[in-house]
Amino acid sequence: MTTQDSTDGEARHAPKPGPNRVLGLIWAGFVSAAVVGALIVPAHILIQGVLGPLGVPSFDRRYGTFARALSNPLVKIYLLVLFACSFYMLAMRVWYVVRELGVPSKLGLGLFSFGLGAAGTVVAGYLLFTGP
Amino acid sequence: MSPMGSPDASEVRAEAGARPTGAGGVSARMPARAAQPAIAYPVKQPFTWWLRRRGYLLYMLREFTPVGIAAWMILFMVEIARMRQGVAGYQPLGGPLFVVISIVCLALALWHSYTFLSLAGLIMRIPVGDRTVSPRLIVQTMFGLLAVVTALIAGLLIWGGA
Repeated sequence: MTTQDSTDGEARHAPKPGPNRVLGLIWAGFVSAAVVGALIVPAHILIQGVLGPLGVPSFDRRYGTFARALSNPLVKIYLLVLFACSFYMLAMRVWYVVRELGVPSKLGLGLFSFGLGAAGTVVAGYLLFTGP
Repeated sequence: MSPMGSPDASEVRAEAGARPTGAGGVSARMPARAAQPAIAYPVKQPFTWWLRRRGYLLYMLREFTPVGIAAWMILFMVEIARMRQGVAGYQPLGGPLFVVISIVCLALALWHSYTFLSLAGLIMRIPVGDRTVSPRLIVQTMFGLLAVVTALIAGLLIWGGA
C-alpha cells in the first residue's frame, strides 16, 4: 500500500497502515503512571501534607529522619519514580485536555507538555541524587 | 404531498426534473464541486462546553487531577531542596495554608484514584478457563489494593519519622 492516494490528479495523504506503536507506548506509559498515582500518591499527601503538619510523626518533619531516609538509594529511586509518574501523568492529561478545550496544535502541545514533565523529572533527580 | 407531510417519490422526481441544469448536466442547485471528495469541517466546541452538564464537569475535573498531584509533588521537591540548607536551615513545609493546599490536592488525588480504579473492571480482562473474572471483582480488588498500599505506605512514612 502506498502512503499517497491519487484522486483526480490531486495527491492526498493516506494514514500509515498498521497500529501507531509510538502512541501505544505513550498510552501504556500513562496507564502505568496512573496506576502508581492512584495507589501510592494519596498516602504521601495524607501523611506528609495533612497529618504531618498536624502533629503526626512523618519522616520529613525533622532533618535527621528525612536525611536518613534520603540517604538510602532505594528511597531515592522510589521517590524519583513517584515524581516521574506524576509529571508524566500531568503531561499526558494536559496534552489531551488542552486540545479538548480548542487549542489545535498537537505536536507543539505534546512537545511542550512532555518537555515540562521531563524537566520536572530531571530537577527531581538532581535534587534527590546530589543532596546531602 | 403525502398524508405524512413529506413529499412522495413522484413529487421528488418531478421536482428534480424541473431543476435547471448547468454545463455537464449537473444541477444548478448542486454545484459542480460537490462531485469532488467531501471536505471535512471539524466541529468547533465553545471553550466552556464542559460547563454544560455535570458529567462533563466531573470529566474535566478528572482530567485536571494530575495538576493537583503534580503541584503537591513540586511542594515536596521544595522540601527536598530545603534540605541543602543543613540542620539549622531546614524547615519542613507546614502551616494552615499548606494543610489546606494539601487537602485540596488529596481530594484531587482521591478522585483520580476512584475514577481510574473504577475503570479497571472495563480495561482488564483476566481469563479463567472459558470465562473471565467479573469486572466487579476486579474493581473491588483494586480498591482493596488501594487500602492495603495506603496503610503500608502510611505506616512506613510514620515509622520513618518516629
